[in-house]
Amino acid sequence: MGCVIKRILLSVLITAFLFSITACSDEQANHHGINKAIRFGLSTAPVTLDPLQATDAASGRINRLIYQRLVEFGTDNKPIPGITRWQQIDAQHYRFTLLKNSLSQFPRFHHNKALTAHDIKATYDAVLDIKTASPHRNSLKHIERIKVLDEHTIDFYLSRPDPLFPAFLVIGIVPEDLLKSGHSFNDKPVGSGAFVFSHWPFDEQLFVRRQTDQQLFEFLKVSNPTVRVLKLLRGELDLIQNNLPPEHITYLKDNKAIKSLTKMGSNYTYLGFNLNDENTSQLALRQAIAYALDRDKIIRYALGNGAQKANGFFPEQHWAGARLTGYNSDQKKAIELMQQLGYSGQKRLQLTYKTSSDPFRIRIATIIQSQLKEIFIDVDIRSYDWGTFYGDIKNGHFQLYSLTWVGISTPDIFRYVFHSDSLPPSGANRGRLNNALIDQLIEKAEQQSLTEQANTYQELQEQLHRLLPYVSLWYEDNIAFFQDDIHDYRVSSDGNYDALKHVQRLLPATKAQGSK
Amino acid sequence: MLNYILSRLLSAFVVIFGVVFIVFMLIHMVPGDPVEVMLGESATAIDREALRQSLGLDKPLWQQFYHFIHGLINFDLGYSLHSKKPISELISARIGPTVELTLASLLVAFMIAFPLGILAALKKDQLADAGAMSFSLMGVSIPNFLMGPLLILFFSVFLGWFPVSGKSGLDSLVLPAVTLGTALAAVLSRMIRASLLEILNEDYIRTAKAKGLSRARIIGLHALRNALLPVITLIGLQIGALLAGAVITEIVFSWPGLGQLTIESIQKRDYPVVQACILLISTTYVVVNTLTDIVYGMLDPRIRLG
Repeated sequence: MGCVIKRILLSVLITAFLFSITACSDEQANHHGINKAIRFGLSTAPVTLDPLQATDAASGRINRLIYQRLVEFGTDNKPIPGITRWQQIDAQHYRFTLLKNSLSQFPRFHHNKALTAHDIKATYDAVLDIKTASPHRNSLKHIERIKVLDEHTIDFYLSRPDPLFPAFLVIGIVPEDLLKSGHSFNDKPVGSGAFVFSHWPFDEQLFVRRQTDQQLFEFLKVSNPTVRVLKLLRGELDLIQNNLPPEHITYLKDNKAIKSLTKMGSNYTYLGFNLNDENTSQLALRQAIAYALDRDKIIRYALGNGAQKANGFFPEQHWAGARLTGYNSDQKKAIELMQQLGYSGQKRLQLTYKTSSDPFRIRIATIIQSQLKEIFIDVDIRSYDWGTFYGDIKNGHFQLYSLTWVGISTPDIFRYVFHSDSLPPSGANRGRLNNALIDQLIEKAEQQSLTEQANTYQELQEQLHRLLPYVSLWYEDNIAFFQDDIHDYRVSSDGNYDALKHVQRLLPATKAQGSK
Repeated sequence: MLNYILSRLLSAFVVIFGVVFIVFMLIHMVPGDPVEVMLGESATAIDREALRQSLGLDKPLWQQFYHFIHGLINFDLGYSLHSKKPISELISARIGPTVELTLASLLVAFMIAFPLGILAALKKDQLADAGAMSFSLMGVSIPNFLMGPLLILFFSVFLGWFPVSGKSGLDSLVLPAVTLGTALAAVLSRMIRASLLEILNEDYIRTAKAKGLSRARIIGLHALRNALLPVITLIGLQIGALLAGAVITEIVFSWPGLGQLTIESIQKRDYPVVQACILLISTTYVVVNTLTDIVYGMLDPRIRLG
């Protein structure tokens, strides 16, 4: 008995010791002003803060705050000046000139060195260096040569004409001196953006500080959406954005203490077919499936009206977007098509639908399964962890699958997804579309000016709409919820966090005045 | 006793090596390629090959395994394929929170399980027994992914006593520890009850009663000490499981522990991190269970002699 008591006492002592350590770290946190930070809840943590390596959405959005880019995108998704303006000297030669900011100053890095054309060259040279193993190298591989003309001017020479070229210069610029010294930008990012890296104690918790007023921001990963919502309600988070199931969205919208903002998104969700499969290669079957899906109901009931129906890769307001009439739900037509293919209530078709293990994606899959059941198709849903699912899709081991393209802003995506040269692993033509007309239209567009391209892409999307390698589903809205004292937050169509540059927390006195 | 301890340590070493080898082979056999996950589909074959080379993934499996073991001997776990951070740094940041949560959960479990188990045994087939066992059944039946949000809703959102999630101080430890601890307490209390009931029917307990010893002395000194033997085994296994990472609880409470790191690394096919995590988890299991065996041997001489 004495032994047991001793053990219990020992446990109590050890726990008390650990508690005291925790208490110390709290004090340190207070000292850093962490409790005053504006806290932003994320569903996934950023993987890397090195702009040369980052590919995931969370890293990309936070890197936009820390680093600046040569080019940004306007409301119609056409490239517009970022920290540089540009002129096309000839078809294969572009000149970029650094711009002064609103204070009539050239950009400076956070370690107080001026950002010059040499830093731009060093950044893009590093991306193009095969040793860097940057995932962005392929999109820039037709840069033949980069030449610095002076501190503020730089020339890019291309190996082939590309009117869209400026749209690819979206890598955050890093300082040449640190790059050459082998600095780890992932751990200690140094950029020239509005936010300075503060500290990153855990993968799930990142702190950055806004340069203009030293306001601290905390990005906190809370993967469970219910807990994220509860943290917002409890005041432990100030802002959350996207990745919430519809019931949470409805619940928060009804909550008077929480403010919300919605903006139509551009992330494109689709249902993909394997065109090498004996069943899904039949156009009539793909059409039947397209007609069988009641997207209005899915959007209303499963997405809480938080999405817009999509008819193509880009929304209509995108400069390369097309005006298309979508496949509206028509069960009668779908059944007719299935009957023409020889299917009926007695002879049903079996298809496999692959999806990730994300509960929301599985929920969508079961709704699609239920809708296809009405047109004599029995769908076998198989959900896998991301690595396995992605591997199967790339290797063509599927009949049906659904995914979302995130952050697509340039129409070069058509080559990447639908050109016959882009079969995995050389691209994302996962459905194995092989169509001479599609290839021809993609190649034609690549040789044209942006205005001409818009027309060619309209024609291309009409053809894709007819061929149906994808059934376009929807663009999910971007929706943000935030505390009552958070002011000046805006939601962007691609879900970036750029509005944090302006967001303010109202002080109690300001709030009272505001409410008067 | 020394021979017993040495044999346990030797078998522990063999088990750890076996686990590391099997995990290494399995993680390389499952579908999904870290290079594809990192570079996406736009990368050229040259890019992929370059990255594969820089990560050492182009080498034959046996060479990669040798490199891993060689690193281990030199206390070098390598770098994460994705974040490029040293793995020792990633893991050391997680060990503290994991140990804290484990100890706090054990404390909660002991505080509930011992009184409950003893009470149920002493009041067998009475209302107190039924009540204690119902509580225990509830603890086992409610999964952590439900228990966690329920506790958050009641104690954080309605009462405002504790933070919802995250690791921010002493109070942030309470709800995850209770979530894990109640589930463990449920199992422990049933085990204590069953074990104590068996011991209470032994001849030597009857002898102790006949000698006129007090009830407290009989329970505390004679019965409980012997009833603890199977309980210690269970605690050993549970400590291993808790240290290995109570993944669900860590996810619900955004607790930056080892479990989350392991799961995320598996999803991203971050081989070196997975290997290091599994090595740590298996070592923890084996060390705790070896210690349990040794303590068991100390408490019951028949075991070490057998």
